[in-house]
Amino acid sequence: MSDELDLIDAAKAGSVVAFTELVHDYRERLLRFLLTRCASFADAEDALQDTLINAYRYLHSYDSRWRFSTWLYRIAIRNAANLQADAGESPDELQDTEADPLLLCIALSERENLWVSARRVLRKEVYAAMWLRYVEDMSINDVAAVLDRSVSWTKVNLLRARKQLDAELARTEKESKAYG
Amino acid sequence: MDKLRDTLKADADQIQVTISDELDARISASLQGVEPELPARQRQPRKPFSFWLASSLTGIAATILVIVVANLKGPEAPVTVASKPATNLTTPVVTEQAFVPLLKTESAVLTAPLREELENLESDLKKAERAVREEMGLSF
Repeated sequence: MSDELDLIDAAKAGSVVAFTELVHDYRERLLRFLLTRCASFADAEDALQDTLINAYRYLHSYDSRWRFSTWLYRIAIRNAANLQADAGESPDELQDTEADPLLLCIALSERENLWVSARRVLRKEVYAAMWLRYVEDMSINDVAAVLDRSVSWTKVNLLRARKQLDAELARTEKESKAYG
Repeated sequence: MDKLRDTLKADADQIQVTISDELDARISASLQGVEPELPARQRQPRKPFSFWLASSLTGIAATILVIVVANLKGPEAPVTVASKPATNLTTPVVTEQAFVPLLKTESAVLTAPLREELENLESDLKKAERAVREEMGLSF
């Protein structure tokens, strides 16, 4: 953590090398997250690039009371939303299955990937909340901060989403056994 | 323990992404060209009191200098003009000593009475005025 703060200080002082090292481990995680929110792999890459550029440009506004990942994801979500707005897509628009970048990046398995099911049954914002909570291990407060929502909204929606995904998991497991 | 949590983690790991060399190069190149924004207080540093004092003193000194230089030159001597009565309709005579070139001229002999001469001059003046107006009208 202190290493991260040192790198942040160095990057704030204008060191691109320090910033590159700082975000190195976040890049793939961010790209994976952005894949679930963008219409194509190229869009996800563009969103990642914009996220890192904006993070470097506005690093002075980063408040060390937050986790750095929380701040970074907040920028990533905004960039993905901006890309969608530029492309004229609605936030919850269904994607073309054949070109779906998420499906293209998922290894074949016996049952449907739960994140694919999640995208089908959850709203994008709730989907992002689940991702941040269960993949990034963020606290409820951090998830709320990233999504710019209240803590109570986040708690309620995470609980509902869990119930929905539990049901989906049970269904997909049943199906895979039936075809098994 | 929490099956859903474990499944969500495992399924997220199934999403395979790698940062391509091309994307890596693109990001690095972009970052090199980015000028980080500075916080507002750094962007416009507050000027110290000494700056305001120095600039005020400079302004006052410059004003005093201009006033002193203007007064050192002194007022220009006024040109005294003695005008003749309007009935003569001649140009005023400058009484100040001035360089007058020595010209070989003879005074005009007025053959007509003064009144007639005056009317002719007025007529010529009107004609000249009209001609000038027409010329101005053409040129503009």
